[in-house]
Amino acid sequence: MEATQATPVKYDMEVVRWFTIAAAIYAVVGTLVGVYIASELAFPFLNFDIPYITFGRLRPLHTNAVIFAFGGCVLMATGFYMVQRTGATKLWSNGLAWFTFWGWNLIIVLAVITLPLGMSEGKEYAELPWIVDILIAVVWLSFGLNHIMTVAIRKTSHIYVSNWFTMAMIVMITYLHVVNSLAIPVSLTNSYSIFSGVQDAMVQWWWGHNAVGFYLTGGFLGIMYYFVPKQSGRPVFSYRLSVLHFWALTFGYVWLGAHHLQYTALPDWTGSLGAAVSLAMIIPSWGGAMNGMMTLSGAWDKLRTDYILRFLVVSLAFYAMSTFEGPVMSIKTVNALSHYTDWTVGHVHSGALGWMAMVAYGAMYHMVKKLWGVEKMYSDSLVNVHFWLATIGTVVYVVAMWVSGIMQGLMWRDYDEYGTLTYTFVESVSAMHPYYAMRAAGGLIFNIGTIIALFNIVMTVRQASALRSSGAVPAKA
Amino acid sequence: MDVAAMTTNDWLGVFFVLVAAFGMVAVYVMVFRPANKATFESQRSMALDDEDPINMGEKR
Repeated sequence: MEATQATPVKYDMEVVRWFTIAAAIYAVVGTLVGVYIASELAFPFLNFDIPYITFGRLRPLHTNAVIFAFGGCVLMATGFYMVQRTGATKLWSNGLAWFTFWGWNLIIVLAVITLPLGMSEGKEYAELPWIVDILIAVVWLSFGLNHIMTVAIRKTSHIYVSNWFTMAMIVMITYLHVVNSLAIPVSLTNSYSIFSGVQDAMVQWWWGHNAVGFYLTGGFLGIMYYFVPKQSGRPVFSYRLSVLHFWALTFGYVWLGAHHLQYTALPDWTGSLGAAVSLAMIIPSWGGAMNGMMTLSGAWDKLRTDYILRFLVVSLAFYAMSTFEGPVMSIKTVNALSHYTDWTVGHVHSGALGWMAMVAYGAMYHMVKKLWGVEKMYSDSLVNVHFWLATIGTVVYVVAMWVSGIMQGLMWRDYDEYGTLTYTFVESVSAMHPYYAMRAAGGLIFNIGTIIALFNIVMTVRQASALRSSGAVPAKA
Repeated sequence: MDVAAMTTNDWLGVFFVLVAAFGMVAVYVMVFRPANKATFESQRSMALDDEDPINMGEKR
């Protein structure tokens, strides 16, 4: 860092603390709703004929809770943390950061109210009513403005690569969210998209895949490039590769959305273009994953004792796996088997649980210790227990969905010598039962891990507060 | 290719594709140019430089 540190920098970290605690709570709630809806698919009586808790209404609540409540709070906590630390400066506006915090939480409350009531725009990962969409744009822009202005007032000359990833996410998600949400309102909670037919589908998946690309991948890669070096105590293996990783993803990701619409009314070439660019993205994605892993060169022994580092390294393994699996699934021949099956659900969760949640928890544990000025978590053993529950839960979930997805695809396309389908759709549903039960069990294992993490984080905070109030000097961060 | 049939949207698409393609080439050249190696890699340890305890102005 080029800045002189004669006078210690005073940071605005209280808001980061709140975002971190909120993220730990939303992870528990979001995955719990996921476990419930997974159980509904295995045991349909759990719908209890109550419309508010049926799969169709709780599923968007689950995705909104884990992606926007948990993921959003992690991205905002780490975004504000990294930009201050790497820029050796406080936030441009602490007040605006609090507006972002309360605004984002208000949006989450509105999602909890509207989605179970069945108010939905019917667009995946963009279900919330138009009026909430406007609020999302305002709050997101408040986060973006504050982050970018904090970069502008930094005391260091270089802008660290993590901040580039966060800024790319901010710019692209603003653009994607606004365009995909363009609609004509007919009431306070109901509206119709200005796009129609295949254009609507194309715009939806241009948003859908780039939410994955810039929010769940780019934003979390920013986290990876800061917290892997921090936790391992090693510099980034290759800074040049990180720059290339950033620009390749930023230029490339926007072209992929059409691979979600193979064999539809969309012109054939658009799906092929999406698949071709998807395959090209394997190179920078694997380059980035290797860059993260090689950062541990000379420090691999730390994995034996540093449980937080385990989260970060395993997340990179899942990142590499998901960024290979996705492009393969986008190839038309493979897509003919995989599309509309549970294989897609397995792929999404290997990314969401294995990559996003793992790297998020690695960062959260690291930040909790720094933010509350303690040397250790309340229980390092519980971090280890959480790590194994998260890993085993993810593997059980993903394997169940791989098997059920491929089985579904094969059953749906199988026909006899007369050209008649061998299996009815109901038979394929019935065959899925054991895998759906297995998926619910995997999700439950992961969910128990999030509860342990919340307990550990809360106890660490209480311990640090008790130390401070007793006058004892807490351990140096 | 029927150039006469190209719409404004088509030309815009061509423009953005070319900008993205040339932009990617420029990034590859910039990153892999041996003369730039030292400049880039000097930032490798930037994340490790902020090891000071976090000062939030609260009583400790």
